[in-house]
Amino acid sequence: MSVSGIEALGFTPATFSPTLPADVSSARSEAVGSSGFADLVLDGIDRLESVQHRADALSVQAATGDLGAIHDYTIAASEAAVTTQLTVALRNKAVEAFTEIMRMQV
Amino acid sequence: MGAFDTLRIAGSGLGMHQTWLDMLGHNLANVNTARRTDQPAFQAQMLIAESQAGGGVRVDGVALSDPEGRLVHDPTHPLADEEGYVRMSELDLASQMSQLIMAQRGYQASVQVTKHAQESYGAALQIGRG
Repeated sequence: MSVSGIEALGFTPATFSPTLPADVSSARSEAVGSSGFADLVLDGIDRLESVQHRADALSVQAATGDLGAIHDYTIAASEAAVTTQLTVALRNKAVEAFTEIMRMQV
Repeated sequence: MGAFDTLRIAGSGLGMHQTWLDMLGHNLANVNTARRTDQPAFQAQMLIAESQAGGGVRVDGVALSDPEGRLVHDPTHPLADEEGYVRMSELDLASQMSQLIMAQRGYQASVQVTKHAQESYGAALQIGRG
């Protein structure tokens, strides 16, 4: 890239050529594949389920008096809450993108 | 490194401080425990903490105080020997109470870390929200 205006003042702009590691570019081409986003969402839901299951188990322990440490439950519960919010945010974005495309004039 | 490492690390801190609080409670509960002079004195528990490689802290072990203790002259004590001595722990109440405050403050600090972590996650979820 050449910026003649400021080069005239003795300023050489820094050149930046982004290089991606090999595994990133291959992962990207996989994600672009037909089921990339669906897999991503399903993986997210699987993780959400396991996190919620752990929080549920700990809440049962809290109710029955078997809970070893209070923070185990509160941390699991907040982790589940944040994961749920993240999954819902992803789903909302996906739906938003879909409706945006559907509104496209052909 | 996972997405919830801050919470996990804070949780390890909470666990360590809870164990420390438990030990201090045990020591304080036994501050007046007397033994016969031919028996070892009550041994106060001291927590050994160690940092974890992936972040966080863990309880590495428990050190016990000197079983020698100190001999206290109390002839009316039911466990006193012929010379009127019993063996008490060499537990220092002031030091234990100071450690109790330290452990409590450490626990509260870890709780604060979890609060900040949650706030950060909440802020990250706001990205791109119209």
